[in-house]
Amino acid sequence: MSDYIPVTDRERADMLVSIGVSNVSELFKDVPEKLKVKSLGLPGGLSQQEVAEKLAGIASTNRVYRSCMRGAGAYRHYIPSVVKAMVSRSEFVTAYTPYQAEMSQGILRAMYEYQTYIALLTGMDVSNASLYNGATAAAEAALMTCERNRIKVIASGNVRPDTLKVMKTYLSAKGMELVVLPDLNGVTDLGALRSALGEDSASVYVEQPNYYGLIEDLSAIGSEAHAKGAKFIVGCNPIALGLLAAPAECGADIAVGEGQPLGMSLAFGGPYLGFLACKDKDVRKIPGRIVGETVDRDMRKAYVLTLQPREQHIKRERASSNICSNEALCALTAAVYMGAMGKEGMREVASACVSYAHYAAKKFTEAGLKLRYDGEFFHEFVTVSPGKADAILDALDKRDILGGLKLDDDAILWCFTELNSKDEIDEAAELIGGAI
Amino acid sequence: MKADKLIFERSSRGARAATIRRPDVPTYTLKCAVRQELDFPEIPEVTLVRHYTALSREAFGVDNGFYPLGSCTMKYNPKLDEEIAALSGFTDIHPLAPEKSVQGALEVIYSLGEALKEITGMDAVTLQPAAGAHGEYTGLSIINAYHKGRGDFARKKIIVPDSAHGTNPASAAMAGFEVINIPSDRDKGVDLDALRAAAGADTAALMLTNPTTLGLFEKNIEEIAEIVHSAGGLLYYDGANLNAVMGIVRPGDMGFDVVHLNLHKTFSTPHGGGGPGSGPVGCKAALEKYLPDPRVVRKDDGKYAFAYSEDSIGKVSSFYGNFLVYLKAYAYILTLGAEGIRRSAEGAVLNANYLKSNISDLYSTEEGRCCMHEFVASVEKLKEETGVTAMDIAKAMIDRGMHPPTMYFPAIVHEALMFEPTETEDKATLDEAIAVLREIYAEAKETPETLKKAPHSAPISRPDEILAARSQKLRWKKQ
Repeated sequence: MSDYIPVTDRERADMLVSIGVSNVSELFKDVPEKLKVKSLGLPGGLSQQEVAEKLAGIASTNRVYRSCMRGAGAYRHYIPSVVKAMVSRSEFVTAYTPYQAEMSQGILRAMYEYQTYIALLTGMDVSNASLYNGATAAAEAALMTCERNRIKVIASGNVRPDTLKVMKTYLSAKGMELVVLPDLNGVTDLGALRSALGEDSASVYVEQPNYYGLIEDLSAIGSEAHAKGAKFIVGCNPIALGLLAAPAECGADIAVGEGQPLGMSLAFGGPYLGFLACKDKDVRKIPGRIVGETVDRDMRKAYVLTLQPREQHIKRERASSNICSNEALCALTAAVYMGAMGKEGMREVASACVSYAHYAAKKFTEAGLKLRYDGEFFHEFVTVSPGKADAILDALDKRDILGGLKLDDDAILWCFTELNSKDEIDEAAELIGGAI
Repeated sequence: MKADKLIFERSSRGARAATIRRPDVPTYTLKCAVRQELDFPEIPEVTLVRHYTALSREAFGVDNGFYPLGSCTMKYNPKLDEEIAALSGFTDIHPLAPEKSVQGALEVIYSLGEALKEITGMDAVTLQPAAGAHGEYTGLSIINAYHKGRGDFARKKIIVPDSAHGTNPASAAMAGFEVINIPSDRDKGVDLDALRAAAGADTAALMLTNPTTLGLFEKNIEEIAEIVHSAGGLLYYDGANLNAVMGIVRPGDMGFDVVHLNLHKTFSTPHGGGGPGSGPVGCKAALEKYLPDPRVVRKDDGKYAFAYSEDSIGKVSSFYGNFLVYLKAYAYILTLGAEGIRRSAEGAVLNANYLKSNISDLYSTEEGRCCMHEFVASVEKLKEETGVTAMDIAKAMIDRGMHPPTMYFPAIVHEALMFEPTETEDKATLDEAIAVLREIYAEAKETPETLKKAPHSAPISRPDEILAARSQKLRWKKQ
């Protein structure tokens, strides 16, 4: 048994004397006696060794596949050793929000650099210091665009399902509406979008690449939105931005996304990283922490949390968001990852993803699957094979390959990254051929 | 290397750190619009490592020293739990992998939920919220759904005491409620008359932190619960201060209907420079069906599975929340066990009272009552006498290698310094803190102008926050 309490019995006795009470329970005399719990119905404490053994045992009942061809919002990438080595430094890990700037310059500077990376990646002017994950980032962005007379947010039906669900939760609480459009051949239907847009539209939200891996014509969608005075929000995969045009170049007013692919492990869904960047003019609507540059009393460059009058601890019910704790360590992870990859590495990772995905699409269609859509895709694509989705995934599972995500009895959403290989894909194609 | 440059100022054309395997398939070139250039820095690995190492030396965590930041419960973060959360069986599993392949992960979610139910006295738990404020939002959305589910659409107001954390009213507003602020009484608790006047047919819930943000146990909790419940409202427990009372009194037994916890506070997961946290929400049986989807259940055959509810408020987060964070909390709870949890609360309260009783002759604190895990000191009198403010005291602590307490909160106490030492500090550290605070007080009396200029030994002196807000330099730009 271990409880991490360093005060010894003798010290405790001395401390009680110093306080002027005779025992610890006297300190709790404000708690009504009849409300106190006798004892918690939990097991007794374990030694550190037992906890290590028990959880290693539980971990071993999870299956880590030899090969993974599944994405759908959580992406497996190579994580350079330098990322974990730097992020696990305990000065970063065990600190809290840098309220005391003088003793937190390292964290503030790292966040300022993170904000710069996100701005460069998205082409936007300014980024915040992180949100919980891609889904809450999309929801917060949608809330940013709502005004008194503009209460509808239009999203494409090919947005990741989790993101749509979280947006719906957030918007409906504020009395706003989420309109979900049907897609056309997998991409946003411009005609349907045009008819849905009106004077009450706050914004349009699409993802790049979308849930099916297809690359959207952002400029065309943005033009439709802007023509009706609505804002344009783009949810982007940051790895894809190594190759694709930056959202700002395509008319986006706000860029958000799931930052997990930037050096975070799959981790059964979290912790991940929500990023949000926008134009200078919207800076006071941004949710969450922002770090800014200033000078100290001796005119040295310094960094601080800034524009705090947006935030809950100052504005309370009139704050731009309720967020307090964010995902700072994940933002640091993303920053170290982007620094480690650098200009060339980001492009190489994106290019490897695209190349493996297209090779797989070719091999899988040769094996008998059909592509559900014919549009240009990034590192994910959907195949169909009537009634065969389970059989295909089972055949792969038996050979320790986590296949794509089953969308229905016919369709599978596949994902490939730089961690896949030609041999794996060839093997999968052969198994698929045998299964259908 | 000194931390004097941004990473972008260390770029050197052609340099690089990480490298990846060259794809062994043909290169595919996209036909759509591609970006001309990604203007990222090019950094050699050794430079990257020295840069971040230099930054880490200008950061201060619990591992560096005493960190009595009130309401944040900066307790020690066990290394064992970090190691567990780095096991491949936890980090390398896909959130959409087949249920049969992630039984261990589902077991963690289920078992931690069961433990938190027992600790809070609730009937059901979700681990989906990613932080405390996110938990508040989730809990209030559940309350909203509950009232509407009963056909009661009039309950649009959330009552919040003036001593509440800022997240309380902000979360209520995000969940679509109107906020009614009520004042504190003479004992710094909820003013019962004000509560009676505010509670009515439009009350959805009262949000309460107990112990309060003043570190005092709300003695009238039973009466408060009675007032709110008889008005048809619910009681929401802000679990930010649970560390004071876990294993001693349970929110469920105090009359609370919904509770959120901050696992990064009470259950020792590291704060990460601001996050990630984890903010599970527990509720009584009548509200269970409104919890976010999906939840994890244990089936008759002992297997774990996801379960969905038609009445759920939906999702508040991607996937299942911050899995690796709550995994660490699970390891911590297993380590402590029932008795260790109680001992931690007792230790937190002991340490706070010890610190308080040894500085309260100089720093004015609530008299005649024991504090719980934290206490608020006011230096209003010192400020009148010397001009030295709570801010000055805080900055002087930085010079002495300690993190300052929370400043200027709660707002109902002037020149407030809120100390929360936590149970993981030993007596020697507390004695050192006492000596430091007494020394700073003496300095305030003798040479106040020196304190006004503190800190003297930090990498920077006090930053110009007004300039930061006005100039809005929020990112690096190429010159």
